[in-house]
Amino acid sequence: MSGSISLGKILESRELLYTLLLISVILPIIHPLGIPIAVSARTKAVYNYIENNLKPGCHVYFEIYYEVAARGELEPNVVALTKHLFDKGCKIVYVSLASYGVVVFNLLKSTAADIFQGKEYGKDYVFLGYVAGGESAAASLAKSIKGTVSTDNYGNRLEDLPLMREVDKATDFDLVIIASSGTDTFAYYVRQWYTPYNVPLLFAALSIIAPSIEPYVGAKQAVGMLVGQRAGAEYEVLVGRLGLGMASMDAQSTSHMLVLAFIVIGNVVYWSRRLSSKKGGGK
Amino acid sequence: MIDWSVFGAWISAAMVVWIYSFAYRDNVFYKLAEHMFVGAAAGYSIALALDSLNRVMIKPAVTTPSTFWPNSWHYVIPAILGVLMFAKYSRRYYWLARYAVAVNIAVGTGLAMRTVPIANIVKQVTATIVPLWGSDPVAVLNNWLLVLITIGGLTYFLFTVFPKRAEGARPSPLYYAYRALYYIGIYGMMVGFGALFANTIMTRVGFLISIYLIYLQPQYWATIVAAILAAVAILLSLRKK
Repeated sequence: MSGSISLGKILESRELLYTLLLISVILPIIHPLGIPIAVSARTKAVYNYIENNLKPGCHVYFEIYYEVAARGELEPNVVALTKHLFDKGCKIVYVSLASYGVVVFNLLKSTAADIFQGKEYGKDYVFLGYVAGGESAAASLAKSIKGTVSTDNYGNRLEDLPLMREVDKATDFDLVIIASSGTDTFAYYVRQWYTPYNVPLLFAALSIIAPSIEPYVGAKQAVGMLVGQRAGAEYEVLVGRLGLGMASMDAQSTSHMLVLAFIVIGNVVYWSRRLSSKKGGGK
Repeated sequence: MIDWSVFGAWISAAMVVWIYSFAYRDNVFYKLAEHMFVGAAAGYSIALALDSLNRVMIKPAVTTPSTFWPNSWHYVIPAILGVLMFAKYSRRYYWLARYAVAVNIAVGTGLAMRTVPIANIVKQVTATIVPLWGSDPVAVLNNWLLVLITIGGLTYFLFTVFPKRAEGARPSPLYYAYRALYYIGIYGMMVGFGALFANTIMTRVGFLISIYLIYLQPQYWATIVAAILAAVAILLSLRKK
């Protein structure tokens, strides 16, 4: 009896779980297993939407709203989407309603420098930088970008940038992409961009918040959604540029198997204790 | 000469290890990393906010006044309201901050409310009106689940009027329908919470993997040294107790 209790105590200790989780993450990165991944219908639908609906020279608005910690989940999506859009000949206006958006955009440019190579700043893409004001700022940008901010992130006047002479308001864009680690950001754009101007929205969200914003996708208020690192890896396969997303998939698989094993063990221990306490007089 | 990029990479790897060391036990290196992160993040946010203000208003107002004032004179209004926020620190003039807060809340509410009824009510309700018969059995099953769990979830949160079972009397069919929907609501929500939990694990593990790939693996010596320091700090704190 005491032996089973001590085993239970060992299995209950969070230190053991964390250590095993670390091992299950590190080992497959050092020795890749090469577990194949299939492209889900949801990711394929997003790819097809861009492939079929965006023409060369189209304009895309890209909201970058995630912190450095969330890079692993969202950056693979942002990089793969940017590559796809540039390959299609689209022009992109990046903006961030979060102050840390400036940091992650700079990191994005340095880690995916090959994508931006050959693209001219001001003509093919622009980064407006951090625009303060949350939902009010989103509403103002939808009405008029130049009426909201007069310069980009680097202090250039918007009138001097060729791309910004082509676009100013929500209806000038063919697609609006929101890559965010916060639930509210998606609601801002549904309320201030989709509902009044009917601009197509595309979401790239953390896995943790995907269930919360699923109703917007279900109600066709967004054309699609890329969910977390897994969707990033799938999109990397589709656009033919493997990166952080694909590198993480083996570790994701092994760590999930470990969590599943612990859920099973936890249930076995729980039920065995419950049954043994019933046998022993309900104590 | 110190190579600041290498120094920065070592520091970032050490900070990551020390923050994660809290999973094992609280220790002095975790506290150091925590305080440094909070301080740096707050300072960075303030600097970026001030830069945004400078870029959007102050600099254009000073350098290009001929174009700024005719087109963007209204920027002065939020600037004044922003300054009023600081009146909170004065015992005599703290009431002035209420005007700034009032305008802020009023604008936010007004902007949200003009589209909330359509975006969050009409569109969502419309999305639950789906065909319950058709040729695709999977789509039909999905639609039935959507409708039943939506109604069930709403039934679960019905706290005002609901059919009761009178003592000694046979329950009415309405009572059975209510109980069935009530349980469908409970199980539907349980499945939803399960999906949320699974997604939570996926996100947290994703963070760990990417942080390992970006910060720890390239600086493995920094990672090992930081982990040893954290382990020593934990052991010392346990010994003191």
